[in-house]
Amino acid sequence: MRRRPGIQGIQRTAQARDHFKALGKDVAATRLEHMQAQMASFKENLEEFALKHREDIRKDPAFRAQFHTMCANIGVDPLASNKGVWAQVLGFGDFYYELGVQIVEACLATRPLNGGLMEMKPLMRFVNRRRGSKAEPITEDDVIRAIDKLKVLGGGFSIMKVGQQMLVRSVPGELNTDKNEVLRLAQGRGFISKKQLIEENKWQEARVVETLWSLLKEGIAMADDQGPGGQRLYWFPCLEASGATQAEVL
Amino acid sequence: MTDFDFPFFFNYPPYFTLQPVKETREKQVELWTELILRYCRQQRAYILSTSTADDNPLFYNRKIERRLNQDARLLFLGELVSRGNARWLDKDRRQCLVLWKKLQEWADTVYSLVRELGMQESVMTVDELSSGDEVAGTELEGAPHELLVEALKLLEAQGKAQLFSGEGDLGVKFF
Repeated sequence: MRRRPGIQGIQRTAQARDHFKALGKDVAATRLEHMQAQMASFKENLEEFALKHREDIRKDPAFRAQFHTMCANIGVDPLASNKGVWAQVLGFGDFYYELGVQIVEACLATRPLNGGLMEMKPLMRFVNRRRGSKAEPITEDDVIRAIDKLKVLGGGFSIMKVGQQMLVRSVPGELNTDKNEVLRLAQGRGFISKKQLIEENKWQEARVVETLWSLLKEGIAMADDQGPGGQRLYWFPCLEASGATQAEVL
Repeated sequence: MTDFDFPFFFNYPPYFTLQPVKETREKQVELWTELILRYCRQQRAYILSTSTADDNPLFYNRKIERRLNQDARLLFLGELVSRGNARWLDKDRRQCLVLWKKLQEWADTVYSLVRELGMQESVMTVDELSSGDEVAGTELEGAPHELLVEALKLLEAQGKAQLFSGEGDLGVKFF
């Protein structure tokens, strides 16, 4: 059969295209509707759950941690927006924002004394004291979450692990491995001597001297020239001291 | 002496060593000068020695066996002197008069007490101002001679008193 003249063919193709487009839109709209409905019911359920367990979430740190894990598993961040349902339902955003502010306060107040490094335990003591005895108890998990939220402010807040301890750092930058190692070895006692470092790590003296001096300059270490035999001890205000100032210096 | 509530840093050994890094030392000077003033005010102490032979519990913490050496004492007290909160009593800076009230405030205290007691126009010795029956129980009781003389000199410069040497002791007449 001879082909029809072109113009009609073109019109027909265009018609078909429009038709498909309309149909596609319909499908997309239905899917969107469906998804919206699903989201709504999901949100409703989650809200219902949160409301039902509101007290538990606020009061019980372990439950709170589990709630966070659950939310993370389904890809929801209850802290993502302070304006969202969570702030209204739980007053939850506020909880972490408040905690964040208290952490910042603690770090700033002690920064001149510890060079911007603080152990988790003293930090939590500081924050708990600030919150008063009537406030709900907080856990390490809460502190870590709150600090995570502080990161968006770009204030250089971060958590670092030294040995078994977690240290909260409130000044930008990083400790190199040598400094990290010095802090690790000083843990427990709260101080270390040059001799100890040379013996423990088999480092060259120059390396030890350089690392210690750099820690002094950053305000992380303080010098004490009245150690046994008049040797210089290096103290780290960010580490809790055992109280032994004379004993067991190698 | 009454119990004194020492701050945390008093039990932290490195604060008894002058810190080699400038920023840390500035903070250290700040903490110590504050402590010295507070301690002297509460203990009503007036004169501190820069000699390490002096075991003033303010400069020597037996519990942690740390003491301030002479350089540290000179630096902290010198800072107080430069702020007008202390005065060296000799040119070798061995003794330091700590003014936990400014000298002008001491002068005002002396002058208003004298007026209260109605002793203007009468002649007193300086020692009477700190140990006489009249001043018992007042703020001036037990004030060291050096402090009173400095305060009186200030009053003299303001035309409120006149100092003159009597028999072995300084006398003063208030106007």
